[in-house]
Amino acid sequence: MTTPLVSLKDMLVVAPMFALLFMSLIPVMIKVFNGNKEPKPFVTVVYALLGVIVAGGLTASLAGMKHVAFSESIVFDGMAVWGSLLVLISGGFSLMLAYDHVETDGRQFSEQCFLMLGSMIGMLIVVMSNDLIVTFLGIEMMSLCLYILVAMSREHTLSKEAAFKYFVLGSFASAVFLYGIALLYGTVGSTQNPVVTAKVAELLANHNQLFYLGLAMVIIGFAFKVSIFPFHAWTPDVYQGASTPITAFMATAVKAATFIAILRLFQHADPATRSSFLAEPKFLSVLSWLAVLSMLLGNVAAVMQNNFKRILAYSSISHSGYLLVGVITAGFAERIESSLAATTVVLFYLFSYTLMTLGAFSLIGILEKQVGHSLTVDDLKGLASRSPVLAGALAIIMFSLAGVPPTIGFFAKFSLFGAAIEQNLYWLAFWGVMTSVVAVFYYLRPVVAMYMAEASETLVLRPAVLTRMTLVLTAIATIIFGLASSPVLEFVSESVLTRL
Amino acid sequence: MLLSLIVFMPLVSAILISLLPKENWIRPTALFLGLAQFVVSLVLFAQYDPSTPALQLVEFVPWVPALGVSYFLGIDGISFWLVLLTTFLLPVVILGSWTAIDKKPKGFHIALFVLQTAMLGSFVAMDLVLFYVFFELSLVPMYFIVGIWGGTRRIYATTKFFIYTMLGSLLMLLAIIYLMFTAQEVLPAKQMTANILELYKLDIPFIAGQFLNPQTLLFFAFSVAFAIKVPMFPFHTWLPDAHVEAPTPGSVVLAGVMLKMGSYGFLRFVIPLFPEASEHYAWVFLFLGVVGIIYGALVAMVQPDVKKLVAYSSVSHMGYVMMGLFALNTYGVTGSIYQMLNHGISTGALFLLVGMIYERTHSREIEKYGGLAKVLPIFTILFFIVTLSSIAVPMTNGFVGEFLILLGAFEASMFFGSLAVIGVVLGAVYMLWMFKRMFFGEEGELVSDKKHPLHDLSLREMVVMAPLIVLIFWMGLLPNQFLQYSKVSVEHLVSTKDAYQLSIHTPQPESDAQLAFGMKFFKSVAQAPEAK
Repeated sequence: MTTPLVSLKDMLVVAPMFALLFMSLIPVMIKVFNGNKEPKPFVTVVYALLGVIVAGGLTASLAGMKHVAFSESIVFDGMAVWGSLLVLISGGFSLMLAYDHVETDGRQFSEQCFLMLGSMIGMLIVVMSNDLIVTFLGIEMMSLCLYILVAMSREHTLSKEAAFKYFVLGSFASAVFLYGIALLYGTVGSTQNPVVTAKVAELLANHNQLFYLGLAMVIIGFAFKVSIFPFHAWTPDVYQGASTPITAFMATAVKAATFIAILRLFQHADPATRSSFLAEPKFLSVLSWLAVLSMLLGNVAAVMQNNFKRILAYSSISHSGYLLVGVITAGFAERIESSLAATTVVLFYLFSYTLMTLGAFSLIGILEKQVGHSLTVDDLKGLASRSPVLAGALAIIMFSLAGVPPTIGFFAKFSLFGAAIEQNLYWLAFWGVMTSVVAVFYYLRPVVAMYMAEASETLVLRPAVLTRMTLVLTAIATIIFGLASSPVLEFVSESVLTRL
Repeated sequence: MLLSLIVFMPLVSAILISLLPKENWIRPTALFLGLAQFVVSLVLFAQYDPSTPALQLVEFVPWVPALGVSYFLGIDGISFWLVLLTTFLLPVVILGSWTAIDKKPKGFHIALFVLQTAMLGSFVAMDLVLFYVFFELSLVPMYFIVGIWGGTRRIYATTKFFIYTMLGSLLMLLAIIYLMFTAQEVLPAKQMTANILELYKLDIPFIAGQFLNPQTLLFFAFSVAFAIKVPMFPFHTWLPDAHVEAPTPGSVVLAGVMLKMGSYGFLRFVIPLFPEASEHYAWVFLFLGVVGIIYGALVAMVQPDVKKLVAYSSVSHMGYVMMGLFALNTYGVTGSIYQMLNHGISTGALFLLVGMIYERTHSREIEKYGGLAKVLPIFTILFFIVTLSSIAVPMTNGFVGEFLILLGAFEASMFFGSLAVIGVVLGAVYMLWMFKRMFFGEEGELVSDKKHPLHDLSLREMVVMAPLIVLIFWMGLLPNQFLQYSKVSVEHLVSTKDAYQLSIHTPQPESDAQLAFGMKFFKSVAQAPEAK
């Protein structure tokens, strides 16, 4: 055998990561060689965005290719393309928010961008990983950067608390995850996703307790990252404590990357049978309960909040529940076509969730007066008369989050519940619908405050051009991709099909 | 293209209004655009052929082919008058709210026109998902209309309205998805579809007496959604809140058209899709209809607030509509359709009149009035005519509708029919009692207030009321001119409801060439899956 250890194609696959790394280093280097003088934030953000755009362009140009690289530890397929694009989209917009953020005063912005791009590299690794150890590396890379990013919000005690909480709990979850991988390796003999999934049926039939335990631990590790009940407790505090652009980044990109890793674990080992994990009724019922409780807890708890960021944090917990319904459907589906259809739905839902959440956080960014000023729903009062465009954009996004047609949020939920019903998972679909009704209540509250309440004080709107652009763009996108959801769905489903 | 034009003209008008630079241009422009869309909708009379039950003026464009969702519009005798009622009420409402809406007139008229698109769309959509989209979309503008231009408790009322309706319709969404998958399994095309004509062909398993079978569950999922919208007792609690807090034009549109989206849903979807369950559970709806009639009337009787009284009278009147529908015979269904129009006209007129007096005195308490007849003679006469229509006195439109419904109800069940008759009496009681207390007797404190003398109706207000009054008598005296448009469709529905099918009307060669092209296109698309 004379196959080279690393082929040119392998390098091509990871080229986007190198693009990000290279571009993230430039501002930091400028700073170092310039006597530790911070470059202009605008220069920094241009380099960082350039990196994101180049990475996105490289990824998009490789679309349609299927390649397993680096001794089968990295897989590049349609799901990786779509996942990378989601990560890059949300990362790019978060960078724009970060540039406009009140705190950006030109002291540590180059480091912040470096860390954000570093985190994105970690996410790209997670998205493309074909091996649980590589997934672990990616998750750690992404999380370590995030811990620092959360803590970087200076002069603000909440952010220190949040960072510490996130760090301690996150490390604990990582340890559990790693331990789970070790147990899986012990029972399966490999950490590669396809090998693990292929062996599941056999090991489950033998009632291999260690295997059960290992699998459960891996799932717990993932559940922590995407804040599935009961591993969600850190979410509201961290979301509130971190500076808004970082929160937006965490809420969207982390979720997208991790859910794709989860999908890879649940994929079909053999096109003829359903994903073996979920053929085991124990796993099915436990995961279903986790999904139902996430939807319930997220939506019910959000009703009682007044802080806008905490509302969005709980809403993100509930959306994790909806996404988990999609993942369960993808794993549970008997025929491979239905499974791929459900995978498509999950990816589409992630896309819609990313758009809506970015939009909602950018509005917080515009209204924030100082770091740590917690924006409440009441602070939105009178926005409609001050700035009809921003208010209209946020209203569209809120209606989309609530799932009112013809926005993308409606079509995402529609196809998600559709996929669940096709697999006779009525129970999950029923709870999804019921909790959506609860959600309507708190998604409407900002709309009420903006349009129907009398303004109590004069609002201060920050000029933040890039943030405003993000808000308006995402709002327009929720309508356009809602009305024309068909092309997006087709694109996603084609890219998913390249996995076959 | 006619239906698309009717549906989307208001949306384009909304965009036009949003571009107007000056505030005092808004109302005249809105009125002009409202009249224009009414005139365009009158073209339906020329294009519609009342002699066939088939679906007409069909438009079909695939929308999300992967899910079998299409942009599919069509009209038949069931929706014909509802479309015209909707387009007719818009200019009336715009003129009626000329002075009532003093803040943010631009936003108000935009919301009104967007609402118009949503309502018209749900009456002509022949694809379940498209219908759902329009049905839900109608919530958003109404939410803003009540929430921004409403009374003091407007936020409570509008949030309740939104969540209540959303709860029902999301359950319906699950049922819709289920139907689409059933279609994929059962129908020869082996493809998901939300095309209602295809779904009519489904034979959904039904087991009488058991609850957990597909047809019963689907039937109730749809029924709850529409019963909340109608609203049928005991799902009516959002209605009085929403009506009392809504501004006058909001109440008129809400009572006049939006409630009909519920009863229309029963007629278009529930009864034809789930015939066995409809028949088996008809007694539930007859019973709740009767309860609604009597309960609504009794509660209306004790209301101190005249707007709330009218709101509860809506509950009572919609009870008749539900009874007529679930009598499941030609009289009942015809009467129901007629009563939907009547209710739109007479309740709409009542809300407008209440709004007019409210604008003068800023009070709706019946106690504070009295002796209005001497001070405001024209207003009194108009109010009296509308009251007569509301209590269904012969020669007014209300009589024809209620009479047909009672005929149908007696044919279906003597028991419920005779109970409904009690409702007729009660209806007369609360309306006439209210009329007596407000217009005769001692002059109330607001009427005798010399500092704020009341003025009789202005020319604008008379112009608003004139078409409604004319219609009250027209529909009362010459019902056949109206009924002939829905007759064939209703007979077709009632006689074949167990195996209801709706074909597509192929226009004669001499008719519009564009339409013929559209038909050809539709056929090619509809046959494509079979060819595979």
